[in-house]
Amino acid sequence: MTFLAPEYLFASLAVAAAIFALHLIVVRQPRAGILPTARFIPDSQAKAVAAARRPSDIAVMLLRMLTILAAGAALAKPVLTHARRPTARVILADVSRSSRDTVALRDSVRAVYRDGDAVVQFDSRARLLAGNIGDSVGALRPGMTRGNLSAALIAALRAGSGLRDRADSLELVIVSPFATEELDAATDSIRKLWPGRARLVAIGGSAVDTAKMVGALQTDAAPGDPLAFSVLIARRVVRGNAIIARGATGSTGVAAEPPASGDPREARTLVVWPATDRPRFAVRRTPSDTVGGVIVGERGVVAPFIRQWSYPPDSLRGAEVIGRWYDGEPAAVEKPDGTGCVRSVAIPVTPVGDLVVRSDWVRLVAELSRPCAAVTALVRADPAAIARLAGNGGLASRDAFQPAIDTRSPLAPWLFALAIAAAVAELFVRRRKKGRTAESERIPVSSFANPASRVKTA
Amino acid sequence: MTVGLADAQDEYAPLLDAVRGIRWPSRVVVRGGMPGAHTSRVRGISAEFTEYRPYRQGDDLRRVDWKLFGRSDRAYIRLSNDRAILPTMIVLDASASMAFPTGTNGKWKLAAQIGVGLAAVARNSGDPVGFVIAGREDALMIAPRMRLSVLHEIMRAVSLTRPDGSAPLAPSVSIATQTAGRLVVVSDLLGDADDLLTVSSRWVAAGHEVLAVHVIAPEEIDPPRESVTVADPEVATVRRALTSETRDAYIQAYGSWRDRIAHDFSDAGVGYATVIVGDETPEHLIRRVAAPRAAGVSALQ
Repeated sequence: MTFLAPEYLFASLAVAAAIFALHLIVVRQPRAGILPTARFIPDSQAKAVAAARRPSDIAVMLLRMLTILAAGAALAKPVLTHARRPTARVILADVSRSSRDTVALRDSVRAVYRDGDAVVQFDSRARLLAGNIGDSVGALRPGMTRGNLSAALIAALRAGSGLRDRADSLELVIVSPFATEELDAATDSIRKLWPGRARLVAIGGSAVDTAKMVGALQTDAAPGDPLAFSVLIARRVVRGNAIIARGATGSTGVAAEPPASGDPREARTLVVWPATDRPRFAVRRTPSDTVGGVIVGERGVVAPFIRQWSYPPDSLRGAEVIGRWYDGEPAAVEKPDGTGCVRSVAIPVTPVGDLVVRSDWVRLVAELSRPCAAVTALVRADPAAIARLAGNGGLASRDAFQPAIDTRSPLAPWLFALAIAAAVAELFVRRRKKGRTAESERIPVSSFANPASRVKTA
Repeated sequence: MTVGLADAQDEYAPLLDAVRGIRWPSRVVVRGGMPGAHTSRVRGISAEFTEYRPYRQGDDLRRVDWKLFGRSDRAYIRLSNDRAILPTMIVLDASASMAFPTGTNGKWKLAAQIGVGLAAVARNSGDPVGFVIAGREDALMIAPRMRLSVLHEIMRAVSLTRPDGSAPLAPSVSIATQTAGRLVVVSDLLGDADDLLTVSSRWVAAGHEVLAVHVIAPEEIDPPRESVTVADPEVATVRRALTSETRDAYIQAYGSWRDRIAHDFSDAGVGYATVIVGDETPEHLIRRVAAPRAAGVSALQ
């Protein structure tokens, strides 16, 4: 049995303790003694307050305590079966490409999952598991999509509102490798909306240090190709085994050794950037137009580009857009290819002007040559960011979540009254209409009196 | 319990030794009587010449200084100081209030030592000494005598006495004054102090010497701080609560009463001395009472 308002019970316990203490205090005659000069003492009541080892009037004291405790227990709203559990969990299961270890993911979620908990699986979007959650947890499988913890945290807030009426406290559990690419600028702000700490369960492969990537940026561009200049400059900052192919099919003249050990640090990035031919996965754009800039990652170049190619939606299936024109259209996409990836770039390289040696352009080329997303997806986030995710304090109280009940509109009774009024009005209108119909169908008596006229009329 | 004379002597022997050299001169000129150590108001015929006085009719012709008459042709009477004894009565209060503190009977023991000591001093000065122990209704009285055995009787009587009862002191004092020229009352004055003052002042007015030795226990001046219900051993109906609330009022009332008593007795010409149990040795107390100047005290306090 528990109490919905235990403060009353605590207060009654305090009062009962005070009653007990008062019964330990007895008023008694002080110790007797002799004093020849007693006549000089003012005449007063010869009683003194003293503490006794055993309470006085035990029966009365017990009755008083029973009265107070019973009243306090009654006011405390005792319930035999508690409708809410002490704690429920909202488990965020990361099924993005960063979570490569399927077994670890399932085992970690199973370890923290209890009946009644909410499980949200997320990659780039978050989905609340419903139905037989235990089976769904056993079927969790990481995909190739980038993870987004912000979306998962928003889904966790919604799931918390759903659990509000089933638990006193809510705990947020995040089962994820906590890769850098899963965090964005909004993650911290959204995380603060969860009122309490979070339990972080780290899974997945080891962190990859991109600074220790093996290989270098290479290209098969002809010496006169303007992009060759850019590659030459960008080579100093690019880490990893990247090849920029200027051919249409992506076949390169560069002797690139395939990764032998399967080490992600040796993964090859093939950038198919045709000089004039159709880029892979792209179709010709008719008619061509111009656009004022392009963005790849955090790098942008403002310059006039003649846009000749576009990526149809079908070609984006299984691909990730890594570069966009300023109007939002894809300008470069990436698809996984074994341990590496293939990138298709539809950004024309203008031979006129100084674009190819501009620093922003060189940085954009380097960004296009960076390691594949499958590799960067393993880079562990900054410890400080992970600590902010964990937060501090206690568990979230159920009161911190909005109740998942619909707010009744005050219009409801008026609408109900309107319905009754309309029904009554309908009754009158129908009766009136019925009366009119009967009157119009009535045949005048005169017509019976002169049958000829009736025939004539007919 | 029977207390033998030897026990009593053993109890008071150190005190008697200590007061052996103390003299107790009278504070007033005593009446004439048997030759003694105190100056008498009677001009006698002793060898200690004082002055001449012209002969008056009726004077004894044997006291005329005939040589001076031959030289001056005038008749003069040769006067000389006379010394007399001073019968001393010591009234010892043996009421129940003197049996305090309960465990030690400190007030009674000190009062008894003062009484015996003063008796010894008076006896050593050649004065007859009597003793009155007033506690119960039948007070014990030892008539003034000069023989040595009177001290033995006094010590034995004091040793046999247990403070009890609540008999007033004034009747005993009245009886004692009939045979004494000097009266000493050793008491806590918690009985009939006003009556005692009346009797004493009357006796002082008659030209006699009265000393009141006020015996006080320190517990009476500064009672314990714990709450206790105290009873007056002499008045059964007096039961008061001595608590933190009443303690200050008690101290103030008792102090005022002591001041009033000292003032009234002094005003009446009664020598008044306050002795507090444990403050001084009995020998010093006796010196302070008997010979204030010798004890370094200019007056009785």
